[in-house]
Amino acid sequence: MSYHKPKLIAGFIISLWSFFLCLVPVRALAGAQTEIRFVNWKSQFPKVWVEALAAFETQNPGLKIVQEIGPHSSTEFHDLVTQKLKNRDPAMDVFFMDVIWPAEFAAAGWALPLDRFFAATEREKFLAAPVLANTYRGQIYGVPVFTDAGMLYYRKDLLARYGFSPPRTWPELVAQAKTIVAQEQDPHLTGFSGQFKQYEGLICNMMEYILSNGGSLWDEDALQGTLHHPKVIEAVRFVRDRVIGEISHRGVLAYQEPESLASFSQGRAVFHRNWPYAWEIANDPKRSRVAGKVGITVLPAFPGGKSVSTLGGWQLGISRFSRKPDPAWKFVSFMSSLQMQKRIALFAGRAPARRALYRDPDVLKKRPEFESELDVFVNAVPRPRTPVYIPLSNIMQRFFSSAIAVRDSNIESLARLASRDMNRVLDLLRERTRP
Amino acid sequence: MSRGYRVAAYYLLPSFVFVLLFSLYPIFESFRLSFYRLILTLPWLGQKFVGWENYYDLATDPVAMKSLLTTLLFVAVTAPLEVVLGLLMALVLNESFRGRAALRAVMLIPWAIPTVVSAQMWRFIFNDRYGLVNFFLFGGQTHLYLAPLADPYLAVVAIMLADIWKTSSFAALIILAGLQTIPDELYEAASVDGATSWRQFRHITLPLLKPALLLALLFRTIDALRVFDLVVVMTQGGPADATNVFQFYGYKKTFAEGMIGYGSTIAVVVFFVSLLFSLLYIRLIGARILQRSER
Repeated sequence: MSYHKPKLIAGFIISLWSFFLCLVPVRALAGAQTEIRFVNWKSQFPKVWVEALAAFETQNPGLKIVQEIGPHSSTEFHDLVTQKLKNRDPAMDVFFMDVIWPAEFAAAGWALPLDRFFAATEREKFLAAPVLANTYRGQIYGVPVFTDAGMLYYRKDLLARYGFSPPRTWPELVAQAKTIVAQEQDPHLTGFSGQFKQYEGLICNMMEYILSNGGSLWDEDALQGTLHHPKVIEAVRFVRDRVIGEISHRGVLAYQEPESLASFSQGRAVFHRNWPYAWEIANDPKRSRVAGKVGITVLPAFPGGKSVSTLGGWQLGISRFSRKPDPAWKFVSFMSSLQMQKRIALFAGRAPARRALYRDPDVLKKRPEFESELDVFVNAVPRPRTPVYIPLSNIMQRFFSSAIAVRDSNIESLARLASRDMNRVLDLLRERTRP
Repeated sequence: MSRGYRVAAYYLLPSFVFVLLFSLYPIFESFRLSFYRLILTLPWLGQKFVGWENYYDLATDPVAMKSLLTTLLFVAVTAPLEVVLGLLMALVLNESFRGRAALRAVMLIPWAIPTVVSAQMWRFIFNDRYGLVNFFLFGGQTHLYLAPLADPYLAVVAIMLADIWKTSSFAALIILAGLQTIPDELYEAASVDGATSWRQFRHITLPLLKPALLLALLFRTIDALRVFDLVVVMTQGGPADATNVFQFYGYKKTFAEGMIGYGSTIAVVVFFVSLLFSLLYIRLIGARILQRSER
C-alpha cells in the first residue's frame, strides 16, 4: 500500500493540474509600457480612429492603447461594456458610452466620477445638452466626443424635379415621397428609410414622431408611463400605416443605421433619417451613388407640432475598476480635445460636442450647414436620464416593434400593456432611500 | 476492490471539485438569487428577500409566457426534424461507398462551425438586398426581394432553418454510432429470409436504433430549449418580439437590465424545464435498454 503511494499522489497531482491549469488566469507580462485598454464602438470610419490612437501613442511615449472594438448596435455594445463592468474587469480602462448610459453607469458605481479631471471651466466649452447627459446627481461621468441629432436627408435632385421643397410635416413627407415614387420609373426606389429594427435606434426614431406630435415616452415627474396617451398612439399609427405601410420597404423593420444608410446612398430612398455622419458617406462618390445629390434639413413635425431631434452622441468614460485612472484620463482628454473633435468632424462627419468648432473655418468649409444646424444640436431632446433606462427601453422597443411590424396590430392594447410594465419599473425609483 | 475505489476516488476528486464549483454552485446560487430582488443599477435598494414573488411575476408576465411558448414551438419543430434529417444522413453515411470518409468529414462541418459564425452567415443568406434566398427566388429582379428577418413569422422560420442546418449533423453523429452497433449478421439473416430492405429497416434498424434516436432527441431538445446565439446574431429578439426566445429574455433581464433576481428566476425555470425533458427521455431510453436485455 505504502509502495503505491507515490504513484497515487503523482496521479492525483497530475489530474489536479490538468483540470486547474486552464483556469489559472495567465497575466500578460507587463512590459515597460503602460497599457490602456480601450473598448471602442465600431465606427464606420475606422481609419480616423486608428490614426488618432497612433497620434496619441507618438505624443505619449510609454503609453500604449490596446483597442477592443465592440458591435455597432448601441444595444449590443451596452451588453459588452456592462459585462466587463459587472465583472469589475480591470482590463478595461476607457470605454465609449452612448448618451443614455451615464446615469445607469453612475448609479451602479461603474463609471468613475471625473470631476477632479474635468473642470467646470472646461465643461463650459462643450454644448450643454451632452454635458447634462453625462451628469448624474451633480457629478460628471463622461466627456462627450461628438454629439448627434436626428436629421432628415433627402434627394435634392428628385425633390427639385417635382418642384418640392423639403417637407415641414410628416404627412407632407409621405405625400411627396408617394408622388416621386409613383412618377419615377424606378422599381428600386422607395420613399423613406430609417431605423426600425427592435433595438435602441428604434426609440430614437419613434421618439421623433411621438414628441413632434406633442406626446412623450413617460412622465418623468409623476413617474408614469404615457405610451397609451392618444398623441402617442396617433404617431405610432402614422408610422405603421403611412411610413412603413406606404413609403418604405418592409426591410426597414430590420434596419439599423448602416443598412438604412446603404439603402439611401444606393439611390433606393427619397428620404432618409439618420445622424449627421451619414452626410459624409452619402456624399462620398466611392461609397455612394447619390453623392452630390443629397440635401440635409431638420426633421419634419406633425401639423401643429415642433420638429424634434433625438439627442445622441458618444462619450468617453473611465472604469471605476481601472488601475490606471491618470493615464486613462490623459487618453480621454486627448480624444475629446478640440483638435481631435475637429478631425472627427472633418473626416468622420460627426458633429462636434465643443462649441468653438461651430465657428471653426475649416469645419464650416467642409460642413457649412453646421452653422445653421447648431440650433438643432442645442435643442436636440435627450432621452430621459435614469438608472433604469435600459429596462424601460426594452419595454418600449418591444411595444414599438410589435405595433409597427404587424399590419393589424392592436396598438391601444399593446400601449396599455407597455405603460403598465413601465410603471412597474418606474415604481422602483420611488423606493429611493439614498439621497 | 476497496483500494481500487479509493484510488478511483482520488483521481475523480479534482473533477468532482470542478463540477461542484462550476456546475452545482452556480445552480444553487441561481436558486437562491431567484428569491431575492437584486437590481444592479439600483444598488441602494440592496438585496431584498421577496419569497416566491419573482416566480409569481414570471407566471403573470405575458412577455415571458409568450417567450416560453416561442421557445417550446422552436423545440417542437426543430428537434424532431433534426433527428429525422440526422437519421437520413446517418443511413447514407453508414453505407460503404467511395469517398465516404470525406463525406463524413464534410457532413460535420456545419456542426463544427461556431454558431455565432453560422448565424452571421444565415443573416446574410436572408438579407433583403443581397441574400441568397432572395436570389434563388427572384434572381436579378432585386426590387422584388423580400426581407424575411423583418417579418415576425418568417424571422422565426429563418432561425429554425439555421438551427436545423447546423445541428442535424450532430444528430447524425449520434445515430451513426448507434447504427454501427447493429450486427451485420441480422441483416444477412434477413436477406437470406428474403426480407426487402424496407422491412429490414422497419424491423431491424429502427427498433435497435431507438436508444440512439431518443438520445439524439434528448440532446437536441435540451439544446434547443437553450437557443440563444442564433437570436442574438440574427434578430436580437425582434421584429415584434417574435424571436424573443426564453433564454434571450433571461439574458436581457440579467445582463442588459441588471435584474439579477428576476433573471435568475428565468434561469431556474429553464433548468427545471430541461430537467423535466431529460427525466422523461431517460426513462424512455432506460426502458428500451431494459426491454432489450430481458429479451
